[in-house]
Amino acid sequence: MFYDLNIPIATTTSTTSSKKGKNKQIQPSNSPQFTNAQLIAINAHLDLLIHLGYTVVCFNQTVHKRVDPKTHVNALNELLEKLKPRQGILFLKRLSVILDEDSEKGFGLINANTSFFNSYDILSLIPTNQATFALACLTHTLPSPLTTHIISIPLTLPRFPFHLKHTLIRTAIKNGAVFEINYVGALGGESDSVLLEAGAADANGANGKRNWWAAAKELVRVTKGKGVIVSGGVVTQADLRAPRDVANLMTFLGLPQDIAHAACTSVPKSLILRAQTRKTYRAVFSEPTLVIPEGYSAPAQLPPTVTPDSSTTTSTAPTTAPPSSTQQVTSSSKQNKKRPREEDGVDSNQKQNPAGPSSDAQAQGGDKKKKRKKNKV
Amino acid sequence: MVRFKNRWFLVEFLPIPSNAKILSIPSTQSKPAAQLELDGRKIHSALKQSILANYGDVGWGAVALSLSVKYCSPTTNICIIRVGRDQHNIVWGALTLLDGLEDMKFIPNVVHVSGTIKHCQLAAIAHNRTVIARYRAMAKAPTTYQDSYETYLESSNREIEALQD
Repeated sequence: MFYDLNIPIATTTSTTSSKKGKNKQIQPSNSPQFTNAQLIAINAHLDLLIHLGYTVVCFNQTVHKRVDPKTHVNALNELLEKLKPRQGILFLKRLSVILDEDSEKGFGLINANTSFFNSYDILSLIPTNQATFALACLTHTLPSPLTTHIISIPLTLPRFPFHLKHTLIRTAIKNGAVFEINYVGALGGESDSVLLEAGAADANGANGKRNWWAAAKELVRVTKGKGVIVSGGVVTQADLRAPRDVANLMTFLGLPQDIAHAACTSVPKSLILRAQTRKTYRAVFSEPTLVIPEGYSAPAQLPPTVTPDSSTTTSTAPTTAPPSSTQQVTSSSKQNKKRPREEDGVDSNQKQNPAGPSSDAQAQGGDKKKKRKKNKV
Repeated sequence: MVRFKNRWFLVEFLPIPSNAKILSIPSTQSKPAAQLELDGRKIHSALKQSILANYGDVGWGAVALSLSVKYCSPTTNICIIRVGRDQHNIVWGALTLLDGLEDMKFIPNVVHVSGTIKHCQLAAIAHNRTVIARYRAMAKAPTTYQDSYETYLESSNREIEALQD
């Protein structure tokens, strides 16, 4: 079972909509975005991947700066319908957002857009400066329907963009995120066109190679090999490599052999399972069952804290994430640590009620504060 | 006993048209594709260049005495390479970073690594059989059809089994 979690698909409409600016309203087009020639090329690429031994393959759509649900089209849904069906191969969809200074204020990964992001299996971020990196590691790895499970640091840039702070990385790994290394940089191959435009990858192959070795080694050093996955990012067919070859390359970065092999197999596997928990409440894997100890008599009046519990059981009931014994242990411990709270706006069942009055109150409070400041001035 | 241990790689080279990308593929060859003529010497020199470029003189020095290309088959594009056990990582890495011979690009795919020549021979024979079976399936010939592949299989099996350390 070998995983390739980054097969970049650059679509034409997404790049043009970012160039045209914010003023023009572009209707999301439903016209086929992939020509026949492109489909043949993608099928050939997939044939090679399968020949080399990959069984799980994830298509990656990259967006620059921000995601606007009105104009952004999930091209991968359409692509998956058009690909020829293959036995025993799992296809996944992934969205990457490149973060730079303009995205610090917000880039569309908010609760209101949750339904739009549910069409992607995995979300990931590509931070390019210190502030967005801190944002990505701390806020966006917390369990929620919008967790970005993969943080992909651009490795081919000439000046390593920011200092990798050990505490930030440790928090991200504790929350379940992983850091991604794209092996295309080691070969000096061509990166995804959206990355090149956004300045997140070096166009010159030879320089990119040298920067890659330096940056990847640094990343491995800071993460101590823990939350690291290896993926392709390969655009040119000639840059594809078999998974064991890639694992051998990783040993030169300082990863011991078994961890290098795990970075291609077991770490992506648990990542995909964890990414499925975006559809559950607060990263709970399995359906919790209420166990009443013998000799316990329920009190006559139900205390108010019981109602959030019952609503969480109903919200996790329709999940189809495969439970396993070890995951149940970890999920039950997670559930104990993070008890559902009523004012938590993440749970969709309760989103309406508390969100309404609390946001109004905040708005009113804000207005009052503003008014007070004006009066003073 | 300090015995000198080796590692034997079975490498398959998959030829790729040089500008095939994920979203565009060159239209069926305007000029006849230059066939990848796999030659033991060419592979050895390409591998030497790759080791020198990626690991420098130090890397090449570690590997040079024990590196040799033992067998090469142009039809099925496989190659058997022998290296010393302590330095086989260097050669494996250089092989992965190798991306072409002269003007033809290919993907190096290490199919099997073993410590003895025996298992490498077995893996090579099995690999030849699967490749020939794939060719035959594509040609949609009935299974008992005698074609030139049969003689090729026999001769290559004999060559492989004749390999000496």
